[in-house]
Amino acid sequence: MTDQQGISWLNDTGAILNFIRRLIKDLPELQERLMDLNEGDLLFSQGDPLEHMYLVLEGNITLTRTQPDESEVKLITLGPGSFAGLIAFTTGEPTLTSGRISQKGQALKMRPQQFEQYLNDHPRLKHPLQQLMLNNMIQRYKSNLRLQTRTHLLSKELNKERNDLKKAYAQLEETHQMLVHQEKMATLGELVSGFAHEVNNPASALMRAAENLVEIYSKFESSHYSYKLFRLGLQSTPVDSNTQRNRMLMIEKRYPWIHDRSSVRKLAHMSDEALDLIDANRKKGEMDTLINHYEAGKMIHNIRIASQRIANLVKSLKSYSRQDQNKEEHADIREGIQDTILVLSNRLKFIDLNLKFNDIPKTCANIGDLNQVWTNIIVNACDAMKDQGKLTISTEATDDFIFVKISDSGPGIPEHLIPKIFEPNFTTKNQGAEFGLGLGLAISSEIVGQAGGEIEVTNKTGGGAQFSISIPIREDC
Amino acid sequence: MDHKIYILIVEDELEVMDALVKDLENFEAFFPVETANDTREAQEVIDYIIDHGHRIGLILCDHVLPGKNGVDLLIDLQSNEDTIKSKKVLVTGQAGHEDTILAINKANLDHYISKPWTEEGLQEVVRNQLTDYVIENEKNLLSYMQILDAEKLSEAMRTKKMTDH
Repeated sequence: MTDQQGISWLNDTGAILNFIRRLIKDLPELQERLMDLNEGDLLFSQGDPLEHMYLVLEGNITLTRTQPDESEVKLITLGPGSFAGLIAFTTGEPTLTSGRISQKGQALKMRPQQFEQYLNDHPRLKHPLQQLMLNNMIQRYKSNLRLQTRTHLLSKELNKERNDLKKAYAQLEETHQMLVHQEKMATLGELVSGFAHEVNNPASALMRAAENLVEIYSKFESSHYSYKLFRLGLQSTPVDSNTQRNRMLMIEKRYPWIHDRSSVRKLAHMSDEALDLIDANRKKGEMDTLINHYEAGKMIHNIRIASQRIANLVKSLKSYSRQDQNKEEHADIREGIQDTILVLSNRLKFIDLNLKFNDIPKTCANIGDLNQVWTNIIVNACDAMKDQGKLTISTEATDDFIFVKISDSGPGIPEHLIPKIFEPNFTTKNQGAEFGLGLGLAISSEIVGQAGGEIEVTNKTGGGAQFSISIPIREDC
Repeated sequence: MDHKIYILIVEDELEVMDALVKDLENFEAFFPVETANDTREAQEVIDYIIDHGHRIGLILCDHVLPGKNGVDLLIDLQSNEDTIKSKKVLVTGQAGHEDTILAINKANLDHYISKPWTEEGLQEVVRNQLTDYVIENEKNLLSYMQILDAEKLSEAMRTKKMTDH
């Protein structure tokens, strides 16, 4: 109580108390009402009906209230000049608090019924007591006001803290998901490198074996035409079944005496040069043997093609998942896009892929991370197009930025969803089993942001969605 | 018996097609092989074969195909009276659990071959399926004894005789 009014009130109370003390000396029936306050004694308990009201003359009474959870809250300490039991006295209801003597002293103990009588019997007491009661009320009203203000401030602070917590929680959640994703990618990287090693071994064995076979063949088949047929088989290109059917009709006309369908099909595979070679040497060897020379070459060719494909896939997979996560490198972003396309070739099989790769400079970027971005956008596009349609990927550069644009021929994104599309947990893929936790684009946006770039999406006028990604050109890695 | 019983292979990768055809060469004397690279071509080849009074005994179908996927094609063929009796085998590199269940339930899939296959494994499946097909659909089983499962065929012929009596 430091304010001016408080001090004047204290002075006032002191004066009143002195006045009352003098009165007590004069009035024996008041002296009878005096009681000693012994420190630690319980004056009254919360919930009890109150039979007396106390005017503290000396010492302190502390009011406490027991909470529903049994804990005790200290409410106020009443010093000289204060009334205890005032509210119970005025309302006649059980007391709201417990009163314990916290400092020994003296109090005037009065029964409510007697109070009115005192006032009437001792008009000199009436005014000071009324004044004291009023002061008490004023004091409690003031402390109530202070409490209200404090509660308000506290709840404001609490609200702010709750919002901060909410924000922190959301950030934590996002970070957690990013970490899980990174962890997954790291695990994938490890798996891929192990897998690549394991697969590269048999793939190299295959490739080497094929080359050795070619060499051995050249020694075995010394006759010129048979080796030449083998070489032609080695250079053969596969024939689609429609072309093959047409060529089979042609073969049936050219060799009407061949009825064996397998032989007809094999001849239909051959180039005209090979057929001419067969015709020229037909008398020297069995037809089947001649065909088989060519077939042998064709099969080794198939082994070459297939093992080369394995090797390429493994290479792309390895470079796609980039072991050295979180590492920036000075690289051409287009290579990462190419790797991504190869890794996703299964999804892109029936998509009309249109690449417009304008020259762009190398830049410092985490290529592995960016591959995630391309993957997410391309997979989303494939989903939107139901795996059939046109996918266009273009690159271009200004002095400071590289721009990658990926557009599809799907239905586009409903306008009202565009602002939400980069938020975590946003997904349109609701059938649980389907790919998508709704994190793909949120993570993409995070990755592009980390690279110092921007990602945005628009609907093209002709239909379909277009993602535009800008990446700053940097040389500082 | 004028009609021929065809084996149809639907596969879009030409090298893989090559290998499949090669492994089924032994059957060609009795069961000519036809090929298609996508589902539309498959439908055309089927129409052509049926229009010429022949039948399709077995369809070997790749899983991932341009246009429709293999499972969808097999489901379609199951509801077509020209091909409802044909044996249907899915050949796949990706053993997608759900797709397989769909194929078994809806396309009445007869067998499931996962890539890479072995020559013996493939031939055994084809032999068994064609044996079942001829037993169910052909009158004269004797002529298939040398190429298909002879034991099963003679068992079938005995049973047929008994029911005929």
